Amino acid sequence: MQVEFSKIEGRSLPFYLAGAALAALAIAGIYSTYLMSVHGLYLSGMTNRVPWGLQISMAIFYIGLSAGSLVVSGLYGIFGKLEYKPFARIAAYLAMLFLIAGLLSILTDQGRVDRVFVKPFTYLNVTSMFSINPSLYSGHVLICIIYLWALFREKGTLTKIASFTVCLWAIGTHTGTGAIFAFVPRELYNSALLPPSFVAAALSSGAALMILVKVAVFRGTGRPLDDKLVIWLGRPLLAVFLVCTLYVLLIENAHRFYLAESREAGTFFLFGGFHSVLFWFGLIIFGCIIPAILLFVRRTGTSVPWVVFSSALVVVGVLFERFLIVIPGLIHPPELFPGWEVTGTVLWEGIVEYSISFYEVLQALGVLGIIGFAFLMGLKFLPLAPTEARQIAPA
Amino acid sequence: MDRREFLKKGGAALAGTSGALGLPLLTSCGVNTASEDSPLAGRKWGMVIDLNECQSDCTACLDACRHENNVAFHNDKRWDIHWIRKVNIRSKESEDHTEKSVLLLCNHCENPPCAQVCPVQATYKRADGIVVVDHHRCIGCRYCMIACPYNARFFNYKENEEWPNTDFPKRSHGVAESCNFCAHLLDQGKRPACVEACEAIGVRALHFGDLNDPESDVSEIVASAPVKRIRDDWGTEPKVYYLGL
Repeated sequence: MQVEFSKIEGRSLPFYLAGAALAALAIAGIYSTYLMSVHGLYLSGMTNRVPWGLQISMAIFYIGLSAGSLVVSGLYGIFGKLEYKPFARIAAYLAMLFLIAGLLSILTDQGRVDRVFVKPFTYLNVTSMFSINPSLYSGHVLICIIYLWALFREKGTLTKIASFTVCLWAIGTHTGTGAIFAFVPRELYNSALLPPSFVAAALSSGAALMILVKVAVFRGTGRPLDDKLVIWLGRPLLAVFLVCTLYVLLIENAHRFYLAESREAGTFFLFGGFHSVLFWFGLIIFGCIIPAILLFVRRTGTSVPWVVFSSALVVVGVLFERFLIVIPGLIHPPELFPGWEVTGTVLWEGIVEYSISFYEVLQALGVLGIIGFAFLMGLKFLPLAPTEARQIAPA
Repeated sequence: MDRREFLKKGGAALAGTSGALGLPLLTSCGVNTASEDSPLAGRKWGMVIDLNECQSDCTACLDACRHENNVAFHNDKRWDIHWIRKVNIRSKESEDHTEKSVLLLCNHCENPPCAQVCPVQATYKRADGIVVVDHHRCIGCRYCMIACPYNARFFNYKENEEWPNTDFPKRSHGVAESCNFCAHLLDQGKRPACVEACEAIGVRALHFGDLNDPESDVSEIVASAPVKRIRDDWGTEPKVYYLGL
């Protein structure tokens, strides 16, 4: 199947406005990071009881998004589904950008950004997930580059090998990211189901975002796009990913709730405050169940606007899911004295609060600005977008 | 720049970065801690806290620690640092609801999760069992704080303006820290500041010594008295023991 790719012209007013807005966000984020590196991380909402906040949540969100992009790309690369060839380049390019966004989010969250480029090389600790993961991430970016090159040069065999490698590598990347949390002794973190749950949510959010990006790029540039291609990404692909996500979340929480030793923490997670509202409404109901129903029901699941709507719900739902991985496990105190209650202390010993600060939001928007700008530049300077995408007629 | 050139340059830059990131995995560097022939080797420092002796309204050890180690106090619960802190606890079950005052500090675990997760080995266990932080190496990722189940590690969110003890460095903002059993004093043959301060007011609530020496104060108490460690079931093997917990 011959697919023509071309750069977008990138001379329209909306293009320039979008570019300027994203560049402004990037500058604001860099300035916020500069302020934190000069004055200290107290400018963030983090505290000694909640040492990770929005940036780490965003990092794992971005890293997750890259997985779905690769799967969509892999539909052509591995499975040879020719009708998805038009999407393969954008998907691979975005996967690379999301990985970079994840790395940038982690980088800007460090107390001593100046040391990050030296110390991990001279004093590497192989038992730390924080050491293993950057190697997985950077390897991921590298393989994405090779894959993208193979796609650009139309190298069939290399495309297949690179696509297969990158999908396998992605499983390692996402398992490793889940392991950052799963491998530490905190009640709401140390679950062997966290890495698979991370992978399932990653696939859901990535596939959902792919749908949004494709519809936006094709509609935005006035290129013809066959509805069937978008619909198939939603149903069955995204719908199945959502069912997997729900299944793992159900088992993980049921297990925690069932065992007496973790019931208190499990109850706190499910019914313990604002995060529980995010869990039930943001993630479970609006992030998984409603989009899954919308996709499975034939009338809505075969309508592009409904598929796009469902995808938007899923992306937001998974963003909440990432926040819910990081924050509740920190605001919930470790049980240091079973059978005793803490009545007085100099430190926050009980359940504490975390609120996102203005500077953290700026940092997060800054990373979004950087990769958004890079995406726009990619569309303008690289032949990423196909001139049209159509379903192949059955032979 | 055409497509080919862009890909070539971009690829080269990323390949370099990735290679540099991946290489250390293959050539893992060791941290130069105390060698086997060091005077530190063979020792295992530990502490026993006698809660029956500790007075709930006394802050001698806390003050001494803060002064000796230039521990930052910003008068804000979110960012204050406590190498040693006091919590009052009350039994949920018993009828009398009597309170106990418990001193909490780094447990200097035999299996320290903080050191296990530190990506740059800035936190490590010395040959004498003390878990220390190299503040010149710490990148401020705070993974150690996430991993420590005792909430015994703290981060310098703000610059510490006070510097009461100029014989000991203060930390810049952006690095993690925790109790180090006053390792700098131990290396001079002295004892931790908290232990000295407790004894100076005539109380014997803090006992410190070498757990490998069967005749040391701490070894004798651990061998003969009903000591407890906080959450022994976690497998971290703390070296801080409690009497009366």
